[in-house]
Amino acid sequence: MASKTNSENGSKTEVPNPSSSEAKQQQQQPQIQGIRMPTIEEFRAQEFWNNCGVRSVASGITGGGFGFFMGMLLGALDNPVMQETMTGRQQLVHNAKQMARRSWGSAKAFAVMGLIYSGVECVVEKGRAKHDTTNTVIAGCVTGGAMSARGGPKAACAGCAGFAAFSVLIDKYFDRHN
Amino acid sequence: MAANNPAGVDKEQAFGMAATEMEYRVELFNRLAQTCFNKCVDKRYKEAELNMGENSCIDRCVSKYWQVNGMIGQMLSAGGRPPM
Repeated sequence: MASKTNSENGSKTEVPNPSSSEAKQQQQQPQIQGIRMPTIEEFRAQEFWNNCGVRSVASGITGGGFGFFMGMLLGALDNPVMQETMTGRQQLVHNAKQMARRSWGSAKAFAVMGLIYSGVECVVEKGRAKHDTTNTVIAGCVTGGAMSARGGPKAACAGCAGFAAFSVLIDKYFDRHN
Repeated sequence: MAANNPAGVDKEQAFGMAATEMEYRVELFNRLAQTCFNKCVDKRYKEAELNMGENSCIDRCVSKYWQVNGMIGQMLSAGGRPPM
């Protein structure tokens, strides 16, 4: 590499500049950085987020937010307000109340769903000490069964199977894009 | 034992023992990390950070390895021959 730049120095005057900068780049490229040890704050943050209670509460809050917005959307589209029966302001109030009612119910449902799913998955994964799809199946079954437990054992079984299949699909979808 | 030897030999012995101990420790750590990595971490890497399952698996693996290592060390240092 050094002899090449020397031989090109005699022939042209412009060639040495790109080749010397290229030589500098080639000197700078293989600068391998050492392993960066994680700081104590990173350790604490990892320990904090690996806690099952923290994870389930965070997942419950996320589910609640998602359910809130979805409920607002569905509540707004629910009953088409009639123009003839109420005035404009009453229409708005009625619509807003309906949206709020719908969004609160939906937020509660999704929050409970997120909480149960995340909590069960965390506990099962820590107990099995493996990262698998079996964890999502078990967590989905427990969540679906808990949410449809009011309809009796048959509804609980159907909810278990349905939600387990749904959560496996969602997991595979996210894994494929990763 | 240390008071009987002259100062030069004691230092040499101490350095030799410290070097041997250091080699032993480094070897132990490397074997521990290799064994638990092969047991616990799935080779098809999907993300850079350790999952919860891998974390707890590594915790258990290191704890077992350390305990067994201590037990074997005690057995080898106490009795002359291991009971076979």
